[in-house]
Amino acid sequence: MFRSMLEAFLNLFRPIRTHRYPAEEITLPTGYRGLIEYGKEACIFCDKCEKVCPPGAILFYQHEDGDKEYRYNPWLCIYCGECVRACPKPQEALWQSETKQHSAVKEEGVNEGWFVWEAACKESREEYARAKKAGKIQNKSEE
Amino acid sequence: MRKIETSLAALLNDIGVFYVPKEWHFLSVNGIDLGGGKIELQWIFSKYGVKDEIVIYYALSDYDTPVPSIVDLIPSAIMGEREIVDMFGLKVDGAAKGLYLDKDSMKYPLRGEA
Amino acid sequence: MKKTIQIPLGSQHISLLEPIRFKFECENEKIIGVDADVGFVHRGVELACTRSFEFKQVGYVVARVCGLCAITHSLSYTLAVEKLLGYEANDRIKYLRMLMVELDRIHSHMLCLAHTAENAGFEALFMQIMGDRELIMDVQEAISGNRVQFDYISIGGVNRDMTPELTALIHKNLRLLSDKIDALIGLFDNNWSLSLKYKGVGVLSLKDAYTYNALGPLARAAGLATDVRAETNDFPYETLGYQMILESSGDIHARNFVRLREIVNSMEICRNIIDNLPVGEIQEKAKGKPNGEAVVRVEAPRGELFYLVRGNGQNMLERVRIKTPTFSAIPAMMEVFKGSEYADAPAILASFDPCMSCTAK
Repeated sequence: MFRSMLEAFLNLFRPIRTHRYPAEEITLPTGYRGLIEYGKEACIFCDKCEKVCPPGAILFYQHEDGDKEYRYNPWLCIYCGECVRACPKPQEALWQSETKQHSAVKEEGVNEGWFVWEAACKESREEYARAKKAGKIQNKSEE
Repeated sequence: MRKIETSLAALLNDIGVFYVPKEWHFLSVNGIDLGGGKIELQWIFSKYGVKDEIVIYYALSDYDTPVPSIVDLIPSAIMGEREIVDMFGLKVDGAAKGLYLDKDSMKYPLRGEA
Repeated sequence: MKKTIQIPLGSQHISLLEPIRFKFECENEKIIGVDADVGFVHRGVELACTRSFEFKQVGYVVARVCGLCAITHSLSYTLAVEKLLGYEANDRIKYLRMLMVELDRIHSHMLCLAHTAENAGFEALFMQIMGDRELIMDVQEAISGNRVQFDYISIGGVNRDMTPELTALIHKNLRLLSDKIDALIGLFDNNWSLSLKYKGVGVLSLKDAYTYNALGPLARAAGLATDVRAETNDFPYETLGYQMILESSGDIHARNFVRLREIVNSMEICRNIIDNLPVGEIQEKAKGKPNGEAVVRVEAPRGELFYLVRGNGQNMLERVRIKTPTFSAIPAMMEVFKGSEYADAPAILASFDPCMSCTAK
């Protein structure tokens, strides 16, 4: 009993184990798996990252002139890094940073905005494929 | 891994002869939908203290044939049996519906998409 | 007139971490019958694995079955697929995978010990063990880059390599933890009021362990010598100092002691792994599509985890069967409750270390 009282007394002078979280920033360890970042200049638009992504957090929008637009949902991403490993040009076109994504707030329209975007991407692909097919047929008939 | 074919009629007899509680560890009952209303049921055992010795008894069946319950031989099989009742909508004696799904659910999630 | 009363425990209860409901049939204070309802957190993972995700992505899906044993789930799935692809990992990959599994075992066992202490009425001990557990969580975070969802294992290897700084960190934290575990062993063994709550309570006899196919620490506390680490050839456990921990009395005290001694053993395995880490690639190409049927057993912290994967040479798998440890331990659990006092039920329940997200998947 005396030992436990001594321990209790000594505990008054021991360092605190918890963080005062909102007041104090938590230090992330080195090598923290953070946001996936994208460099448009190096990207060759092979779509490999889109195919391997387990939750489908990377999508490409197909413009009519053949260009593609990269879009990434950091709140859907599970930060596994599979896209970076699939990328033919890692560190230049796609890399994993150590920054942490802030929590989503309602104004950002995380779900609604993303659903709209998902549908738009799908539609743009289909439309582009249709236009390409029609173009091919037209080319053939011209020949 | 050894696979031994059996049938639903011979199952109780086969497992009764094979299963010795102090030698074999019963793993689980498993069902695999083969498509076209056919289903493969598996009873999986592993041996204590021996490396990589797994025995699978399997039988082919369909959705409507009642599956004999092995709870009298292996009491812990009740969980696996209740699971296949829920997931495939099979009939097993003494295994009630409602382990995972609602008790009156009409869905059988792991059945084929036919 | 009916002589028994029914007392429910759960689905929301102060002693429960996850939703499970027990209906105890009590005669005065004695429990004479138990009924359990475990399916509150069913998410349909098995279905999603075969309908929504390709086989390369499923490893990350099954890791979400459970937060505590995320690494064992992804490991057993990966091993099953690698068997189907006809690929065997090199020694370095095997060692790194083992390291993560053993670290996972240490922190999971500590969580269980903390909750057993809490449910027996020792809040302060709970806080202390949870604080010490951070040492291992820090190591895992440094190795894999995330605290809970490690996503460390992928088909064909592991995602990150070991660095000298990590090695130093692991050695330092294991050394710190080692003293604390020694103190805990003394506390759990000698403290008089802890022994009142633990010794002779919630006994599972050896005969019942065989009958109800008990597994993991539950079985080893009853003296049933079963451990998947000793029953498979997937990992070289014997060469790295693995020992089977057995107790004989089968009560809560024995289960606590199996866990404490396994922590000590796991720490030794971890040290051996880091000191003898072979040289080699950490990521190799495993090509092809899974075809055929493979079964894999891995010793998760709570017992044996079983995966059956069947593929038909396409990107989508035909069947992924997950059999989790708590799922098959529930019949044995219900047996233990019979004949004990109702007031002991929370402590007994915590000593099983039940994981409902695994069970209902």
